[in-house]
Amino acid sequence: MGYQIGIDVGGTFTDFVLVRPDGTFDLTKTATTPYDESKGVVAGLGDMAAAEGLSLADLLHATDAIVHGTTTADNTLIQMNGAATGLITTEGHRDEIEIRRGWREDIWDIHLGPPEPIARRRHRIGVPGRLDHKGNVLVPLDEEAARAAARRLRAMGIDSIAVTLLFSFVDPTWEARVGEIIAEEFPDALVSLSHEVAPSAPEFERTSTTLVNAYIGPRVVEYLQRLEEELEKAGYAHQLLVMLSNGGIATVEAVCHRPITVLASGPAGGVVGAADTGRTAGSTDFISVDMGGTSYDVCLARGGQPDVKSFWNWIHRYLITIPVVDVLSIGAGGGSIAEVKAGGLRIGPESAGADPGPICYGKGGTKVTVTDANVYLGYLNPEAICGGRFALSAERVADSINDQIAGPLGISVTEAAAGIFRLTNAQMNQAIQRVSSERGHDPRRFDLIAFGGNGGVHAPAQALDLGFPRVLVPKAAPALSALGILLADHVVDRAKGCVSQVERLDLGLANSILAEMRLEAEKELANANVAHHQIGHTATAACRYPGQTFTLDVPVHLDEDTFTEKSRSALVADFHRLHEELHTFATRDEPVIIVELKLRATGETPRPRIAPLPAADTSVSDAEKGRRKAYFDGDFVDVAVYDGTKLLPDHEIAGPAIVEETFTTVVLQPSQTAVVDAFGNYVITGGAA
Amino acid sequence: MTTTTRAHEVDPITTEVIRGAMETIAFEMAVHVSLTAVTPILNQSNERNASILDETGRLAAISVGVPQLMLTSRGPVSFALETYGRDGFAPGDIIAGNDPYHGGGHLPDWNVFSPVVCDGDLILFASIQCHHADTGGETPGGYCVSAMDVWAEGFRCPVIKLAEAGEEKEDLIYLLQTNNRVPTFTADLRAQMGAARHGAKRLTELVEEYGPETVRAAVDASIELTERRIREEIATWPDGTYEAESFIEHDTMGNQDVRVHCRATIDGERLILDYTGSDDRQFLTTNGTLANTRGMILSQLTTMFDPTIPKNDGLFSSFEMVIPENTCINPAPTRPVSAGTHHPGVEVSEALCLALSQAVPERCQPQIYKAAIPTIIFGTNPETGQFFVDHSVDSLATCSAARPSGDAWGGIPTAFGNLVLATAEVNESLLPHRQLSRDLMTDSGGAGRWRGQPGSRYVKEVTATSSVYTWVIGIRYPAKGVNGGGPGSRTRLVLRAGGEHEYEVDHTAFYIEHQPGEKIICDYAGGGGWGDPLDREPERVLDDVWDEFVSVEAAARDYGVVVTGSLEELDLDLDVDATADLRSRMREERTASA
Repeated sequence: MGYQIGIDVGGTFTDFVLVRPDGTFDLTKTATTPYDESKGVVAGLGDMAAAEGLSLADLLHATDAIVHGTTTADNTLIQMNGAATGLITTEGHRDEIEIRRGWREDIWDIHLGPPEPIARRRHRIGVPGRLDHKGNVLVPLDEEAARAAARRLRAMGIDSIAVTLLFSFVDPTWEARVGEIIAEEFPDALVSLSHEVAPSAPEFERTSTTLVNAYIGPRVVEYLQRLEEELEKAGYAHQLLVMLSNGGIATVEAVCHRPITVLASGPAGGVVGAADTGRTAGSTDFISVDMGGTSYDVCLARGGQPDVKSFWNWIHRYLITIPVVDVLSIGAGGGSIAEVKAGGLRIGPESAGADPGPICYGKGGTKVTVTDANVYLGYLNPEAICGGRFALSAERVADSINDQIAGPLGISVTEAAAGIFRLTNAQMNQAIQRVSSERGHDPRRFDLIAFGGNGGVHAPAQALDLGFPRVLVPKAAPALSALGILLADHVVDRAKGCVSQVERLDLGLANSILAEMRLEAEKELANANVAHHQIGHTATAACRYPGQTFTLDVPVHLDEDTFTEKSRSALVADFHRLHEELHTFATRDEPVIIVELKLRATGETPRPRIAPLPAADTSVSDAEKGRRKAYFDGDFVDVAVYDGTKLLPDHEIAGPAIVEETFTTVVLQPSQTAVVDAFGNYVITGGAA
Repeated sequence: MTTTTRAHEVDPITTEVIRGAMETIAFEMAVHVSLTAVTPILNQSNERNASILDETGRLAAISVGVPQLMLTSRGPVSFALETYGRDGFAPGDIIAGNDPYHGGGHLPDWNVFSPVVCDGDLILFASIQCHHADTGGETPGGYCVSAMDVWAEGFRCPVIKLAEAGEEKEDLIYLLQTNNRVPTFTADLRAQMGAARHGAKRLTELVEEYGPETVRAAVDASIELTERRIREEIATWPDGTYEAESFIEHDTMGNQDVRVHCRATIDGERLILDYTGSDDRQFLTTNGTLANTRGMILSQLTTMFDPTIPKNDGLFSSFEMVIPENTCINPAPTRPVSAGTHHPGVEVSEALCLALSQAVPERCQPQIYKAAIPTIIFGTNPETGQFFVDHSVDSLATCSAARPSGDAWGGIPTAFGNLVLATAEVNESLLPHRQLSRDLMTDSGGAGRWRGQPGSRYVKEVTATSSVYTWVIGIRYPAKGVNGGGPGSRTRLVLRAGGEHEYEVDHTAFYIEHQPGEKIICDYAGGGGWGDPLDREPERVLDDVWDEFVSVEAAARDYGVVVTGSLEELDLDLDVDATADLRSRMREERTASA
């Protein structure tokens, strides 16, 4: 086995993990180049080659796999510089996308404006033709109107066209026909057909998803194809693999077919990385938290699998219904700005980012941030933060906290700094509760896996607040996403609308839908060079009671790939049970409605084997690099500071204590103990109620 | 409203932590209902509102939902406190009530709440309010437009305990179900009870963590902070007295010109809203309860302050209200009120907004709609053989007003809260109808420096014999503009369209039977504009013509902007000189006529 490289582009930094043939690994970071992410990617690869003493070409020749997490799709939606996009839809429904089912992100703020339209009204054209909910024709499709619409969009300078016709998930014939008509009239147009992008009800969600796909598609395709070419020219001989929002990976070719699958993929890699950390530490039920500079991403996983959500996913103010690793993101990170607003202390969501960054970076930041409070409290080493890349100016921190926070609130600087730490934790704890207790899960039955540059600073204290029995801080915490994407499997998700009472479901129809989805998925995995025996699939059904809108995903127990009578009765029983578990009640005399059949095919990748660290031949005290005053239990106390790079398996540290890694810090609370496991991960226990 | 001062002190950080936790819990309760309720209006339209109240019935925190409704949970909780006494609650109790004259809004809105009692000490209530699909009475669907008094409107329940110390009272739940036409009522009620139970459990954990005195002190501190912040903002507004009126053209029986009058006085940090002069005719069929009127005042006022100010009882105590008894906005406790949550509810907001727009126009966006009541359709669904009620909370656009800082947008105004509108593909699968159109209509948004959002043309065809009843307003009094902005377009409802019995509704439709194939066509009212249309950049007007929000004719007539070319030929353009001429001529004419 050769080298394997994971590359994860974030808002500020692009993270790299290089796993060597012997299983040892290295992390590095370069500045993200948002205008063209490939610049930062190639620069980082060059750095890694140099660190290995190789030319870039030699490194790439010796590399078996490069897996890439890109934010191109997200940036396109944030900067709104996607393709000139038009919409062809059913007559009478062209404003669905603007009405947004009435949804507004903040009903209290009258100054909040609309999101910029992906397709302006002039570029949205309705054509006659109507099916009923069973697929019967009420009004035939007006092909001439569709033809005129295609011509008109061409004349208006549109590049990319989304097509969403009502009930196309029941019968896609007309939509496919409109696709052909566009190809005849406007061969250069890129076309996204809703039954291919998201073949399920209802129309607003499907239209929005299809429009987003049409809008971001061209940029994503262009970027990935170009990067693939560049890497090939530089000497890389294998497929470039790409991280998806569902937690799996796919080939560039598959992504180009449905570019929307990479949107919102940023947090997915970290969750996969956390699952791996959990696996090595014997933890299958965990909540992962990624605390970087600007955001805090929270995800709940059971049985080693994160929840994946495919409804009501609002991404940058646009709704998409593709499966997304269910990560709740709030604006809380090291760079989050603390201020006194409306008479109370507020943290974030505004962030000082990395530039100018917190005051302590000394790069011109003037607003107090969470990191500044952490420096004041002694948790962060003013000299060593972020690998010592910043010349920190700690002295200005206290004055600023005094002027901006302590003074207006009438409290001391220490109370203010401790208050920032506490309130930040409280906000992050609320995010944890929203993915756990809000969904019927008691956080005390989960482990907390914390990563990102700031996860280890806050998580041990949060564990005490929420009663987590254990906190795991991975060795690769600062670049866990880059490691995670290397560990991800190929995942193909397919879903198809199939509305019926489960009791009346036509098993023939269900089996043909499943077979079709399986065939498609296997084809895609074969293209990715996944061997047939490494492919597994699971079927689920999105079900609900009559009248409900939101569905539950219920596993379907197939009998040798076939949906049988036994599968049917199991599905009904499982739905009632799951509903009761999550929502406190089941109405067993009600019929169960199935809305959608889903198939997930996974193809195992040759996962890099991370080598364990050598057994410790030193004592913990050898790693102690000094002591400093830090704030614990209401007072500044003198605590030991350890050099994380010198800690080895089975080393045990009692809190209060601080462990400094190159790109992150672990702040151990009093009564907590951290043990280093075989892979260098910190396993923190104790103190919880 | 005076706030009790407590001996117990709490630091500002703990206050924030507890406030945030309560808002999270309120949100969890609301989500619980969305995920578990069976009726579309609850699980799809989010018409469920969670709030947390203290032991005296003051609002401690609320979740997102419909603003005026979140702000009405005080009444039922206060009445329960009167009924059972402070010591009359045990952990695991679940209390319910829907009566408009015992603190509620109208009968379909059930408030369900559960106390947080620790060691015999009552500390908080977790409350969840939901609009149910039916409420008994004369008419299915909860809006009894022909009722001459409140008893005709449906089943009244001042307050009952649906569970005592964790023990559910099946007899009472069965009583409620028996008095409700919709067989899924119990399932929705259980979703609501589950949410109240969940809220109380989570709040109990919070109290156990911080101790009752700290939680109480934090609630006090949050309320005081809100009150202080609002008073600080009011102090920056120009002193004076500002008056405005808002009208409904008719009540459900056709009584004309129902008036709501607001006189707003700003005096330093004091704000006095006096509704003396509002309609006091005793036979009107559209009345809003006091709780509803207060909620409407609050939902408008709240949008005029810094949106980050925490929403709690400090909102109520920060200004003064005069709402005379025996008027349509504080009726005698016999009057019918089912439609009053909408009208004269929103006219309370509108009059207030128009009055204050004379003082602080830059803070004013009317939180109103002219929807009267939804178009209620009921009958028997041939696919299931079951009775159905369709509230028509479908995707449509109406009355979204221009913002002081930009054009109007979206489907519905903030007054509808976080209502999520139903879709054609889901509802056509559940109900016997087809939704043929909801496109926006050209020239229906109010002209202005910032344009109102157009209304939408809504076409629904019934596929089974159905009965329709509704009440229509916005026919003579459309949504007004602000600060020189023009009004939105008027409402027009046509029933039995597409057949020989087609007719336009003048004010109320009582049980109009529709045969399969007949249509309901509604031109929903547009939103009002903000500021002088002659100040709108010609380029924006041209863009609006491209997007068919504004016609070439209206561009000239309403905005003084001359657009050449045509949409068909894709050669629309501005005539800059002609526009300058036209605008100066229009300004001169204005001066002359003034």
